[in-house]
Amino acid sequence: MSRSANLVGATTAAAAAVVLFALTFTFEQMPEGLTQGLGAELFPRLVLGAILVLSILLAMSPEQDAEPLPQVPPLVYASAASFAVFMALVWAIGMLAAMFAYLLGMGLLWGERRPVVLLASSGLVTLAVWAVFAHTFRIPLPHGHLLAVAAF
Amino acid sequence: MDAFLGGLALLLDPYILLVVLAGTLLGITVGALPGISGSTTTALLLPITVTMTPVAAIAFLGSLYCAANFGGSITAILVNAPGDPSASATTFDGYPMAAKGEAGRALGMSAVASAIGGIFSVVVLIIAAPLLARVAYSFGPPEYFALAVFGLSMVAVTGGDSAVKNLIAGCFGVMLATVGIDLTTGVERFTFGLYSFTDGIEFIPVLIGLFALSELLEQAAALGRKATIAKLDAVRLPSWADMRKCWKAIWLSSGLGTFIGILPALGATTAAMIAYVETRRWSNEKDQFGKGAIEGVAGPEAANNAAVGGAMVPTLALGIPGSATTAIILAGLIVQGVRPGPHLFNEQPQLLYAVFSSMLAANLLYLVLGLAAARLFARISLIPPPLLWPAVFVLSVIGAYAPNQSIDEVWIAIAFGGIGFLMRRYGFALAPLVIGLVLGRLVEETLKQSLLIFDQNWTGFLSRPIALVLLALTLASLIAPQIYALTRRRART
Repeated sequence: MSRSANLVGATTAAAAAVVLFALTFTFEQMPEGLTQGLGAELFPRLVLGAILVLSILLAMSPEQDAEPLPQVPPLVYASAASFAVFMALVWAIGMLAAMFAYLLGMGLLWGERRPVVLLASSGLVTLAVWAVFAHTFRIPLPHGHLLAVAAF
Repeated sequence: MDAFLGGLALLLDPYILLVVLAGTLLGITVGALPGISGSTTTALLLPITVTMTPVAAIAFLGSLYCAANFGGSITAILVNAPGDPSASATTFDGYPMAAKGEAGRALGMSAVASAIGGIFSVVVLIIAAPLLARVAYSFGPPEYFALAVFGLSMVAVTGGDSAVKNLIAGCFGVMLATVGIDLTTGVERFTFGLYSFTDGIEFIPVLIGLFALSELLEQAAALGRKATIAKLDAVRLPSWADMRKCWKAIWLSSGLGTFIGILPALGATTAAMIAYVETRRWSNEKDQFGKGAIEGVAGPEAANNAAVGGAMVPTLALGIPGSATTAIILAGLIVQGVRPGPHLFNEQPQLLYAVFSSMLAANLLYLVLGLAAARLFARISLIPPPLLWPAVFVLSVIGAYAPNQSIDEVWIAIAFGGIGFLMRRYGFALAPLVIGLVLGRLVEETLKQSLLIFDQNWTGFLSRPIALVLLALTLASLIAPQIYALTRRRART
């Protein structure tokens, strides 16, 4: 791992710690008699202080491996974006239909080109989710808003 | 003894037996899928336990943990891609054996060695956990604080790139545990006005995101690697000649694996690697290692399964998880309203003995299933990634959503999927974050209680010998790796 990776890690951790530390000042203040000196902010500040010290140590740690980090392939970005698309689909068409659509879409995106296999596996997984969670455990799955909007 | 017999009697209950069988089957199946480790398997299937009784949940998790570890060896031998990191050492000789047409012999030895290692460690667990719990029974908040901090400090040696990175991840885990209403003052912390955060961050979506969704993104980066399965002849019990050759490796590795498993933060992967090295050292046929030596399969397999029982000792007796998987199991028990620790041995022994008996049963079950259905499990390992990983996403979503029927928790899982991917990319291990999250509340509560006992005098810890020893050990575990690294660097220059 290169020094830059350590620096990125250390800077991100320190920045997050500083932001969180600042947020502890927004906590509601309780009377001293109630908190007995052990306010809600005490423990998070201790831990955040430790993170800051460790981040400095990390930034100063020597290079172990000069090789730069490999590039993130586009498929990773596409897969991460697909999570958000899935959530939009859940809102629009409901969870079960979104799952079926997602299984088809992601299968295609990841290179599956056999339509029968893709349809069958997507259908089976969706059916299994319905059978176990909706039917057996009676967990209500979210319905889509699109049909409701269309009906309105 | 009565309680243990009661635990064994639990297995006569058809429901519990079914749960153990389901846990074992699911554990082997999911564990056999390349890329899905024992921790991912446990995180993915954890939501199912929410619908179970505590005894059934604990039996399910216990059997799942044992079987997932064994499942990893099937792909290690047949596909040269360990289903679980702990099976990495098994590939060294398992795959060469399979390539020589001896896959059935390797799988048979793997099943038997795994079962012996697993059963050995469960016996140690049954004996050691109550003893350790008895020692810890007199612990007060200062001792518990010191113990939890010691457990956290041990995350420094849990995988990843560096001890400092592990400690940072562990501290962020502890910070996650502070989200929600502070129990002593009633003040909201880091909730950002979101109702879902008021009671704290739920374990399940965090675990699913960190392990399953981040792994999905990792797999997207590695897509295109083709797996080929070695030809599988009939899986059979090892011959007497093979057993005679391997008995020393199996017992040595079972002992080593159990001991390494008990140590905080050193899990099955380390146990298997050390066992491989030691098996080779004590073998009469050292030159055969790496070319398909059956001892090279027996040693690591006995060790990685023995580490499972070992890792459960501190988890159950002290409530301090030693690995990512035991942290997930601990989280599952907390979700069930059960907090493992010394008091559990007196208050709800039936839960503990449910773990012991389910783990014993799982070890016997996967021996039978491993021998009878290895061909089927091997087929499962070849499910193409474009079909497997979208299904993992769907299971992750339903797993995050189901316990509280909250879409917010699916968002949390997705967010932690991204965080987990970035953490791995920059060399931060995930296990410390999970251990920090699970232990965070305990650390804060016991620190505050201790400070109240000591009248806010921090030096009060020095007046408690056990706490003092544990804090000294913590300091040593933090400083020792730095000194070691420094001396190695000096020696090199």
